[in-house]
Amino acid sequence: MYITENSKVIIQGITGKQGIFHTHLMVNYGTNIVAGVTPGKGGQEIYGIPVFNTMKDAIQETCADTSILFVPARFTLSAAMESLIAGINMTCIITENVPVFDMIKLVEKAREKRLHLIGPNCPGMLIPDKIKLGIMPSDMCQYGDVAVISKSGTLSYEITKAIGNSGIGVSAYVGIGGDPVRGTTMREAVAYYSEDANTKIIVLIGEIGSDEEEKTAEFIKSNVSKPVIAYIAGKSAPEGKRMGHAGAIISGDFGTAKGKIEALKAAGALIADLPWDVPKIIQKLT
Amino acid sequence: MLEYESKEIFSKFDIPLVKNILILKGEDIEEKVRGFSFPAIVKAQIAIGSRKKAGLIKIAKSTYEAISLCDEYFNITIAGFHVEAILIEELVTIEHEYYCSIALDTSGRQFYLIASKEGGIDIEEVSKTNPDAVVKESLSFQEGVSEVLANEVACQLGFSGKQIVTASQIFMNLWDIALNLEAQLVEINPLVLTPLGIFAVDGKMILDDAAAFRQPIVQKLQHKKLTALEKLSKKAGFSFIELSGDIGILANGAGLTMALLDVLSELGLQPANFLDVGGGASKERVYKALELIFKLKPKAVLVNIFGGITRCDIVAQAIIQALNDFSNAPPIIIRLTGTNEKEGIALLKEANIEAFQDVMEAVKKVKEVLSEQDVYN
Repeated sequence: MYITENSKVIIQGITGKQGIFHTHLMVNYGTNIVAGVTPGKGGQEIYGIPVFNTMKDAIQETCADTSILFVPARFTLSAAMESLIAGINMTCIITENVPVFDMIKLVEKAREKRLHLIGPNCPGMLIPDKIKLGIMPSDMCQYGDVAVISKSGTLSYEITKAIGNSGIGVSAYVGIGGDPVRGTTMREAVAYYSEDANTKIIVLIGEIGSDEEEKTAEFIKSNVSKPVIAYIAGKSAPEGKRMGHAGAIISGDFGTAKGKIEALKAAGALIADLPWDVPKIIQKLT
Repeated sequence: MLEYESKEIFSKFDIPLVKNILILKGEDIEEKVRGFSFPAIVKAQIAIGSRKKAGLIKIAKSTYEAISLCDEYFNITIAGFHVEAILIEELVTIEHEYYCSIALDTSGRQFYLIASKEGGIDIEEVSKTNPDAVVKESLSFQEGVSEVLANEVACQLGFSGKQIVTASQIFMNLWDIALNLEAQLVEINPLVLTPLGIFAVDGKMILDDAAAFRQPIVQKLQHKKLTALEKLSKKAGFSFIELSGDIGILANGAGLTMALLDVLSELGLQPANFLDVGGGASKERVYKALELIFKLKPKAVLVNIFGGITRCDIVAQAIIQALNDFSNAPPIIIRLTGTNEKEGIALLKEANIEAFQDVMEAVKKVKEVLSEQDVYN
């Protein structure tokens, strides 16, 4: 399980500006935040949530199973590693600009311990009306049976809100992040939600760069029977320019929107030409 | 990264190079080339593709020819780039060209040692036309390229005798470079076999911008490749790419900004730039972004914010301030939604600025504004 409404959450970096701001929003959403961790700030309280110096202390006191990081990039490796070593089931990295080699080390540790890691440079996860583990807007949609899996943050807010506005509910919103090396790949997230009993339709929001979508398409072709709808950003993007996300770059004919759309189409996915077409396609299916 | 910069790294990590001299701009060319044996290859170091086609790689038969070629190269400017250094390399008899690299498959989160008996051409091409000629070994991050593996790959490439030791040492050194410099790609293409031994003739590297804080070389290279406006935006903390159109774009989120550019392009509208103001933007950052966009002299500016970690009220404050400070600012069309949306829209309303909640309505408004301008012009 990635997360459930019963997940007990630790905020790593709770005393920072972003940590405080988003802890407040998550608490208001109803997320069960049981502790915060900031080395050297143990003993404080933020919104009545106890702050600990280490993950070990926090887990001992609270039996937490989930963590979300609001930690600067250069400290992310050690903070996330601490979470994995402590055995946290889902570690969610919001931070941008985490070095690729740090992610490789974290992914190896997560594989070894069979734990989940998501991000970096991602908005987190949301199960509407149940739990918000992240920085996405709280009022995008209600609970339902469409899973949204996205490389991008804001674009996925846009699409998820459009889905919500047309009266369709979401079973899970998962931001896998815009960096080249991810804790959870698009293929892994699709594999997870293709087995999830609460999900009937999967929405993919991809963008130029890497071959995540192509690998996901390969997987969908032979393993996924649920309908998949995909929107790919960057159709007009120039070659060789990094479009905001570290991972969003076309090199030669590798990583183009066209290639991704063709691969997904061939795998049977329905392609949305505009972000706002996604809910229309879902409505046609139901 | 320029050829000579890759080669400086190769040489630091004991990857054999053919005999060479490097002349930096401003150095005494005559003194540098004295004693070097000619004919030799003279290569201008400049950040453009296909230097050979542009006549920037030539053979000099004598010291005299080399000096006049260097003088010529140092005075060339192509597409705004100038020649910052010249590499002169000994001519060698190539018996065979190979390929080798350490490459990270980012989506697979796996490093590979890739090598081929067919070098000197694009490895992707070889993989398609002659897949049997490509050796691809997955590497564990802890172990990297072991001696056993390196020897095996050297044998598979057809090296024999002493060559095996040299080649396998090169493969191990490539891993050392990747590990030490946090490179996602370290490539030698071609790796050549000559009567004098095995040498790396050309190379390529992809380093990690995010590791700049602990990799001085990344800092140095990053700074060099940016334009003046890009340096400005980098310092301010947002990503910015100059495009050729006339509509300034300020948006948040790389994906949303890209999607917005796609929508505009499809409607025949031409964006002047890509600007993702970044997550959790402060008032100062949004203001600086607007200031930068105004410098492009666009006919209109489209602001599209979907607040997550970014707060709509802060964006609104920055826009109001910028419109106050820049009396000749182009029309700004604003779409705000997400975190603190109500507060943001209320602030704009107080300042008599219209804001949309729907993107397509905002885009329509941009079109209207542009056609109105066309009527008056």
